Amino acid sequence: MSQPGSWHTTSTRLVLVDDHRMFRSGVKAELDESMVIVGEAADVDEAIVVVAQTRPDVVLLDVHLPGGNGNGGSDVITGSAGVTTESGEPVRFLALSVSDAAEDVIAVIRAGARGYVTKTIYGQDLTDAIRRVADGDAVFSPRLAGFVLDAFGAAAGEVAVIDEELDRLSAREREVMRLIARGYQYKEVAKELFISIKTVETHVSSVLRKLQLSSRHELTAWAVGRHLL
Amino acid sequence: MDLVPTPYELPRSAVGRSVRRPVRRMKRPIQGRRIGGVCVGLAEHLGLNVRYVRLAFVLACLGGGAGIVAYLFLWALTPQSLGAPAVAGADAVAGSQPAEESVRNLVVGLGLVVVGGALYAQQRGVNLHLGVLIPLLAMAGGAVLAWSKLDDAERDRWLVQDMGSGGRRAGLLRLGIGIALASIGVVVLATQGLGLAGLWSVGIAALAVLAGAALIAAPWGMRLWGDLRAEQAQRIRQTERADIAAHLHDSVLQTLALIQRKSGDPAAVVRLARAQERELRGWLYAGPLGSQATLASAVTEVAHEVEDLHGIPIELVVTGDRRLDDGGTVLVRALREALLNAARHGSPPVSVYVEVGLELVQAFVRDHGPGFDIADVPQDRLGVRESILGRMSRHGGSAGVRRLEHGTEVCISLPVRPASLSVGQPATVAEPDTEGTG
Repeated sequence: MSQPGSWHTTSTRLVLVDDHRMFRSGVKAELDESMVIVGEAADVDEAIVVVAQTRPDVVLLDVHLPGGNGNGGSDVITGSAGVTTESGEPVRFLALSVSDAAEDVIAVIRAGARGYVTKTIYGQDLTDAIRRVADGDAVFSPRLAGFVLDAFGAAAGEVAVIDEELDRLSAREREVMRLIARGYQYKEVAKELFISIKTVETHVSSVLRKLQLSSRHELTAWAVGRHLL
Repeated sequence: MDLVPTPYELPRSAVGRSVRRPVRRMKRPIQGRRIGGVCVGLAEHLGLNVRYVRLAFVLACLGGGAGIVAYLFLWALTPQSLGAPAVAGADAVAGSQPAEESVRNLVVGLGLVVVGGALYAQQRGVNLHLGVLIPLLAMAGGAVLAWSKLDDAERDRWLVQDMGSGGRRAGLLRLGIGIALASIGVVVLATQGLGLAGLWSVGIAALAVLAGAALIAAPWGMRLWGDLRAEQAQRIRQTERADIAAHLHDSVLQTLALIQRKSGDPAAVVRLARAQERELRGWLYAGPLGSQATLASAVTEVAHEVEDLHGIPIELVVTGDRRLDDGGTVLVRALREALLNAARHGSPPVSVYVEVGLELVQAFVRDHGPGFDIADVPQDRLGVRESILGRMSRHGGSAGVRRLEHGTEVCISLPVRPASLSVGQPATVAEPDTEGTG
């Protein structure tokens, strides 16, 4: 599942949700042929309908969308809760944003998105990120990693004693986050730490879980206090 | 006022209005008015010639003063409009005359007529009861003085002058004098022949009357207050819109024009677009943070400088922050050199991660070029050896160059004294740049 070779054997069914048609067609042109775009939507309500109808593997979701309850991408995720693909996996969401406002990104991640990338991402990286999300892994950009380090106090030296502690990162998770923040790809992280890519993905998924579930006070305070991620 | 269109507003008729017949409200135009604009407004509203309306009011005044009451009633209850009246007979000459001047002329003229009439009657031996007349006149004068303060146009001017306190003080003074004059008139009138003893009961009666009047005037006051608030909000919104428009014009539109002219040069286009993006983000999100001299802002500045110099996107992530001290400056200089090297010899994307800890500041500069070994660099090339490694070791820090599978990474670290600890904000992750690529 985590081996790059296995990704190319099956195609990924994709739904694009973005209110800018130009951006949607740009993404379509950049993705390679293993990505099948089964639907598009321009606002929250349309997106919920399209996702329920097409049951895609991955939804590429803009953070800022009109319609719904005014919460943009988060509303799509909430409205699509329980929708599964044909193989029974939950539909997964990858958030795309141009704003980088921390509160938006955190809101969409806490709503259930499996990752976050900025809209300036290069074509191949986007394809990789979509595959990773389709496989159930998490996608962290360097910026999101930096945010996590900050918000969990890891940069200041706070480290969880046990892995299950929701409000802190474990030492290993902190190492992984630091390398991602330094611009390392997952396989480079794996090589650096002498672990497998699968283990890196496990750590990242665990950090994502903490990000979604933690009630750490600094998390929201940070997101509100900082405009930029 | 609600009739001033803003350039960004949608046409009012766009939504919702088509289903409902618009309610036409009477307004008092500023232009073409003699006193308060009531006659012009009424003529406009009813579609009559304004001369007939004025004549009707004058006739009504003669018949027991009903005209005055009706006039004041309409004046108080109709909003003012800034537009020109669309009615026959409203002459343009009067329109150019400031409203305040016409009011003043009227008051002075009335005063002269009354004084003249009084003197004439006195000479003829008619008892005018001056003891009654003078307080009455004082009350009327005071009321006019105070009320003129509440006229809409006057209020506008008052608000504008709010900034400079001189105009406001003059306005308050006028209001105060008016109220004092009217009160004195009331007291003198009420206490005639009663002496000091009667003053007490009269005072209570006057207070009761005042309370009643306040009760009756309350809705009017509320309307005025509501108007004022709406107007202020509108004004603030307009100023903000104008600010945004001006900023967009100076920055984004200029850059777009430049980009169109340089469309043949992709590197220049990218550079312009990124510089503009940064500027816009800084303007939208930065707030007051950027004004402090912190390590994070210095690092951000350096990264932007190198970006602009070489047109290469630099992904910058900073966690934590602290005040910029000497050590920080050294670190920033070394970082700049490393970034310049990465931009010159490496290939994009270039990633920078700066971690400001409690005891250690670490910076990582990573590029995706072919990479190099420090041992292979000729001895006479001083860039890496002096500006980065040497500089850091001289200042108690350390630096190293690592060759990775794809590219090079320069690590700079500097121990810091916890004494000059963080600047109080939880963290800074610098302004977003292009995502990394593989």
